[in-house]
Amino acid sequence: MPLILDEAAIGKAVASLVEEIRAVAQHGRIAIVGVRSRGDEVAERVSAALGEQKIEHDYGVLDISLYRDDLSHLAENPKLQSSDIPFQVDGAHIVLVDDVLFTGRTIRAALDALTDYGRPARIQLAVLIDRGHREIPIQPDFSGVILETARMDHVIVRLKKTDGGDAVELVSTP
Amino acid sequence: MRLFIKGGKIAAEEGPLTAGDVLIEDGVIAAVGEDLGAPPDTQVINAEEKIVAPAMFDAHVHFREPGQEYKEDIAHGTEAAINGGVTGVVMMPNTSPAIDSPAVVRSILERARDVSRIPVYTSGCITKDRAGSELSGIDGMRQLGVVMLTDDGDPVANPAVLKNAMEYATPFGMFFASHCEVAELSGPRALNEGKVSYQLGIKGSPACSEEICMDRDIRLAYAAGARIHIQHVSSAIGMETIRWWKQMGAEVTAEVSPHHLMFNEEDIGDYDTHYKMNPPLRTAEDNAALLEGLKEGVFDLIATDHAPHSKFEKEQDFVSAPNGITGLETALVSLHDRFVTSGQIGWDLIVKRYSAEPRRMMGLEVVPVEESKPAELIVFDPGGETTFSREFMRSKSSNTPFLDQTLQGRVDLVVRGSEILLQR
Amino acid sequence: MARKDFLDIASLTREEVDLLLDQATPFKELFTRSVKKVPALKGKSVLMLFYEPSTRTLSSFEVAAKRLSADVIDLDVPHSSVTKGETVKDTVDTLQAMRADYIVVRHKMSGLPQAIARQTRASVINAGDGAHAHPTQALLDAFTLREVFPDLAGRKVLIAGDILHSRVARSTSRLLLKLGVEVGFLGPGSLLPLSGPEEIRRFTDFDEALRWKPDTVYLLRVQMERQDAQYFPGVQEYHRVYGITSERLDRIRGEGVYVMHPGPVNRGVELCHEVMDYERSLINQQVENGIAARMAVLYSLKPQTDLQDTDQGHI
Repeated sequence: MPLILDEAAIGKAVASLVEEIRAVAQHGRIAIVGVRSRGDEVAERVSAALGEQKIEHDYGVLDISLYRDDLSHLAENPKLQSSDIPFQVDGAHIVLVDDVLFTGRTIRAALDALTDYGRPARIQLAVLIDRGHREIPIQPDFSGVILETARMDHVIVRLKKTDGGDAVELVSTP
Repeated sequence: MRLFIKGGKIAAEEGPLTAGDVLIEDGVIAAVGEDLGAPPDTQVINAEEKIVAPAMFDAHVHFREPGQEYKEDIAHGTEAAINGGVTGVVMMPNTSPAIDSPAVVRSILERARDVSRIPVYTSGCITKDRAGSELSGIDGMRQLGVVMLTDDGDPVANPAVLKNAMEYATPFGMFFASHCEVAELSGPRALNEGKVSYQLGIKGSPACSEEICMDRDIRLAYAAGARIHIQHVSSAIGMETIRWWKQMGAEVTAEVSPHHLMFNEEDIGDYDTHYKMNPPLRTAEDNAALLEGLKEGVFDLIATDHAPHSKFEKEQDFVSAPNGITGLETALVSLHDRFVTSGQIGWDLIVKRYSAEPRRMMGLEVVPVEESKPAELIVFDPGGETTFSREFMRSKSSNTPFLDQTLQGRVDLVVRGSEILLQR
Repeated sequence: MARKDFLDIASLTREEVDLLLDQATPFKELFTRSVKKVPALKGKSVLMLFYEPSTRTLSSFEVAAKRLSADVIDLDVPHSSVTKGETVKDTVDTLQAMRADYIVVRHKMSGLPQAIARQTRASVINAGDGAHAHPTQALLDAFTLREVFPDLAGRKVLIAGDILHSRVARSTSRLLLKLGVEVGFLGPGSLLPLSGPEEIRRFTDFDEALRWKPDTVYLLRVQMERQDAQYFPGVQEYHRVYGITSERLDRIRGEGVYVMHPGPVNRGVELCHEVMDYERSLINQQVENGIAARMAVLYSLKPQTDLQDTDQGHI
């Protein structure tokens, strides 16, 4: 499996995201919301880094299974986990965090889920990896790494907590 | 017409199978013996490795005519009988209208003469419309040859009515057959009261319902000097009642059906109505005890209680679906497949209980494969197979648990008199 | 869970039970949001086929379905006396033509939802059939108990009342046994089935049953409408011998025992009025959890109505 990003590279990407988000956080309180799964682990790291820099912020996790637009095409529905949005969404400045941005449908679902909690003042998007091939007009505000991929490639992200180690692999289909 | 059945093994109600050829001339068995030569101008049937047995007789069938011909009629029912190696049947009277008067009996016998290739006998109701209060046209029916009176489908609820009927009809030489249960105990008459009825959440019918009524009817017959035949016994304890009364010298006979020997309540599984009948399937212990009782002679005969119902009706939920399964076509093959191949019973028992005793009960001549007897026999291939597909069966209905199953054994030939009724 | 129908507890594996119980929690979390709806079943139709009257189960399912954004249609079928088998079959054929995705069935004939499930591609959910099963009730009961006792295994639950005719008793006891709970049945001898799981202890004396130290007493409604013969001598005697009287409530309160009931309650029969205000009554939680549990069931089933080759949607 062709390794595209190793642990160090991932660390650098997260750091660059934190830099950009920190700049925004200077202007007002933000809420970091990770999109399950793996987006929540990235969000955790971002949140921890912000915490180390003494930047106060809200934190939440979003499970978007109930908002997917392809549920009827699946043999079984994905296992649900609870979302956890312990802060007031109305008027909040939210930074959505996810691991990979691809077609954009996950983020569309996340936006729908978020707005069912309330009306945020502003939503921005931070992704660890942007691999292109959007099917919906959604663009990240902050991206760690931009990857050139073919449509049918698989980008496999592994993170410490979820998978036991940090690595990003790119698998091409012939 | 000459028919020569060569090389088969002849079954009789006593003794083992004996090798022998059978020559039939003009509807009578002209000769039986080993290595007979076939005379000229004779149709030869090769029966090597096959059984040659007296044809079967089923003393309990429902042909649904008149009134419910969509389920079955005399024409189809008798063809189904032939398909199963049966050349005589006794119809039950729970038709619509019920067979409770000479007029209905007459129409049935006429109909049978027109469409049936085998003799059809009918029982008559004990009470008008089987309602349990007024006596039916007993003597009128007797004049047309009816010998068995039964309200089958239901018991006679009022014992006084039954006793009067017995005292009235017995001097005419008629006998009584009983469908035994106590209606108030039986609930919706869906299944045995026990483990399965609990699991499926349906009120069950306890075995004591059947047992109480069996005991009652035999005692009434004993007191009235009547001859009584207990139908479709499902309970081992009930069977002991019969055994006891026989020992007491009561004139009681009893029948058991193949399904009560083979299946029990566990087979119902997921509300499968192919295992729903009345009396219901009980436990595996009952199966074993009833089989022993058959071998010991507590049961005089085997009868199928052939109960055809349309597919639509049997597809309803368990409580609504009507009770019963067909049996004429599957009985002999399934008994062979289940019990003869494993050596649990032999052909002597089959012949005695499914061919000879039923005929004796009805006052008819038995049809052994013996010289100078009328020819009424079957050839059965124990090595062959029968698949009970919809296309194979002649009955209008196919509500049998054996549907689309392949069992070991096959009825290859049915002969009655000078006629070959079936040849495969 | 790749399953089309939800008909009974018996057919569920332990994994499926755990999954469903886990899935109810995220749905319960939704109740705290301002928008309680999610689009998971948008465009799907849920048909209510309630042949027996029921306000609470019917409305519970309706709310659950609507919160999943499904279209709900109540097929106002006849509640009267004997509804023959053929009428149900005709209804099923009509449903097929309407391309319903989910059918929720309640009927007094045991086994009917099964028969319907075999004949339709829609997902069939059993909302109670005869005395046989009420699986969604069992699910919400187990979920409610788990909220109080996160470690369910080894706990004791006493189910009290007309066990013989109760589908709730059957389903709930079965599910609790699957989860390692010890179950006891208490009732008049004429309403305590002789058959049934051997692991369940049987009591005909309430005080003796309380000495068994159950953690929870689960009361069943005494079903006057199902009585075909008299099973016990009248309501007053029943209350005194088998109900939670004021005296028993004091005892129960003293021992910290919880009380549950599937509803609707018969005040003065299986319980005295004071039980409704008892601080350890879980009856209201059961109702709330009913919606979450039913949402979990609807979400987890897979109807076969739009069988398409799936290209696992890229998301």
